Amino acid sequence: MGDNKTLASAHKPIKVLDGIPMLIVCIIVVAALYILGITGIFSSNLMRYLMNIFLYITLGEMWNLLSGFTGMTSLGNQTFIGLAGFSVAVMTSTYKMSIWVGILVAVVIALVVSLLLSFVLFRMRGMYFAIATWVVAEAICTWFLSWKFVNQGGGMSIRAKPYPRVPEIYLMALTLCVIAMVVVYALLRTKTGLGLTAMRDDADASSSVGVNIFKSKLLVYVIAAIFTALAGAVFFVNKQTIYPSSGFDISWTVSMVFIVIIGGIGTVSGPVVGAIIYVLLSEILAKLPGWSNIILGAIAILVIIFLPDGIMGTLQKKLHFELFSQKRFSAPKKDLKTKAQMQA
Amino acid sequence: MHVIQLIINGILLGGIYAVLGVGMTMIFGIVKLTNLAHGEFVILGAYGSTLLAQALGVDPILTLIVTVPCMFLIGMGLQTGLINRVMLKGSEPALLVTFGLSIILQDAMLLLFTADARHAGAAYSSTILKIGGINIALLDIILLVISLVTILILTMFLNKTYMGRSIRATSDDTQAASLMGVSVRKTYAIAMGIALATAAVAGLCIGLKWTFYASSGGSYLLIAFGVVVIGGMGSIPGTLVAGLVFGLAQVIGGANYGLLVSYILLIIMLAVRPQGLFSK
Repeated sequence: MGDNKTLASAHKPIKVLDGIPMLIVCIIVVAALYILGITGIFSSNLMRYLMNIFLYITLGEMWNLLSGFTGMTSLGNQTFIGLAGFSVAVMTSTYKMSIWVGILVAVVIALVVSLLLSFVLFRMRGMYFAIATWVVAEAICTWFLSWKFVNQGGGMSIRAKPYPRVPEIYLMALTLCVIAMVVVYALLRTKTGLGLTAMRDDADASSSVGVNIFKSKLLVYVIAAIFTALAGAVFFVNKQTIYPSSGFDISWTVSMVFIVIIGGIGTVSGPVVGAIIYVLLSEILAKLPGWSNIILGAIAILVIIFLPDGIMGTLQKKLHFELFSQKRFSAPKKDLKTKAQMQA
Repeated sequence: MHVIQLIINGILLGGIYAVLGVGMTMIFGIVKLTNLAHGEFVILGAYGSTLLAQALGVDPILTLIVTVPCMFLIGMGLQTGLINRVMLKGSEPALLVTFGLSIILQDAMLLLFTADARHAGAAYSSTILKIGGINIALLDIILLVISLVTILILTMFLNKTYMGRSIRATSDDTQAASLMGVSVRKTYAIAMGIALATAAVAGLCIGLKWTFYASSGGSYLLIAFGVVVIGGMGSIPGTLVAGLVFGLAQVIGGANYGLLVSYILLIIMLAVRPQGLFSK
């Protein structure tokens, strides 16, 4: 019954939106965002929203890279957000350095910590990995709560003179988001990237055809750690204060999961849509204090049940197009047919 | 003497941790699901006992007569209405659904019961027995007995009854069990019901022993998970031993570093022997 329909849709050619035209569109959008930010045409309120969207896109892309493309579902990415926030706070307020030094230290710490953690975490798969990452975040949070160097639970503030203004933080967030998306897309297009999805779908089979599982996982984990840390650092530069309870908060993971699930897990464009919806929705839900997680959680559950591919995943399937696809579409179907006929 | 006191404190804590973990280990072993909302259900049980005991003016332990069946029904409803459906889509979506459930429950409890600290008081809460120079709180002994009785009843149920046997059969080989006429969906629903019933007991213990908040679920989930991992998933005797190990770790770390010591122990265990001490 349904077979005819699926067959018909399978034969319908998939439109791949990439190459030069897509590149031009992307460049125009990004350039417009830069120009409108620099010239001050955007109000600072609008820039705050956009800044949040850019940072959440970055966080979402990284969680998606781990979970959606590599099969490493993490519930502990807040480890790197908290560490980055505290790096910036410690460097600027304890050592009186500039924010840039703080961000550099945040990257180095993310690199070192992710390398160290990989030895422990990569021994686990699936839900064990997921919960172990969460345990790590909670352990670091508990440690920070009683560590004098980071003012225990009392929180720290980020100091700088002059303190970056909203347009500057906006540009930082935009730049970070663009780089993160380019890195994810470029990584997925390489041979390693194809290996990642192969690994997600069947670790043993991919390993037997030559995918180096440990190396690929490590690469992805370190990239995700560094960009998550960068986004966390910019977040807390904007917030100005950090507490262990806000830095290592599980609600960071809640937002990442929400963004990726809603947008479409395993698609590069999904987190963009997800992050826009998330930021707008949180703005609306701020008027209903206490209800935001209830509504976000309910939406996420409904999407998992009824729209498991998310918004972008479903649209791509229904409308037969692929945006920022990692697949390499080979020769058109016609040629294949003639080849087959020739062989016959 | 100090060492003996520490060990006894650890053992007494261990009972509570074992009952915290036993519900999660069942779901792990039987339904093959990580229930990330287990901590929230424990806290829900704690609220149920605390508020009922206050409202009716009875001993908190008596409230189990109400909270255990209620939580059993919630568990069955949850599994039938929601989790059985998502489990068809794979284990990752099911994990994320329980994660969504946990944040919903946490904020719902925050709205319903406010952010105030809660505690269930009983007449014997501050009675301390002195046995040969060692101080033992009467409450701790009562809680240990409650935990052990719960685990004993559960073990007997799984070993002696038809339903219990079919649950174990499903856990060993889902397909073979369903060929023998066991309804897998129904078994899953009952297993989830039982798991939440034990969460009600764990909630009572936590309400009596400590103060708790609507947001406390996450830390109890991690303890429960630790007990599950150290004990070996699906193993009920394992949870007893693991509860003990965790209780001792907590006591050794003291008030400030107890939780940190337990977390580090858990991470080491995950890395070295993820299948646990008592895996099948």
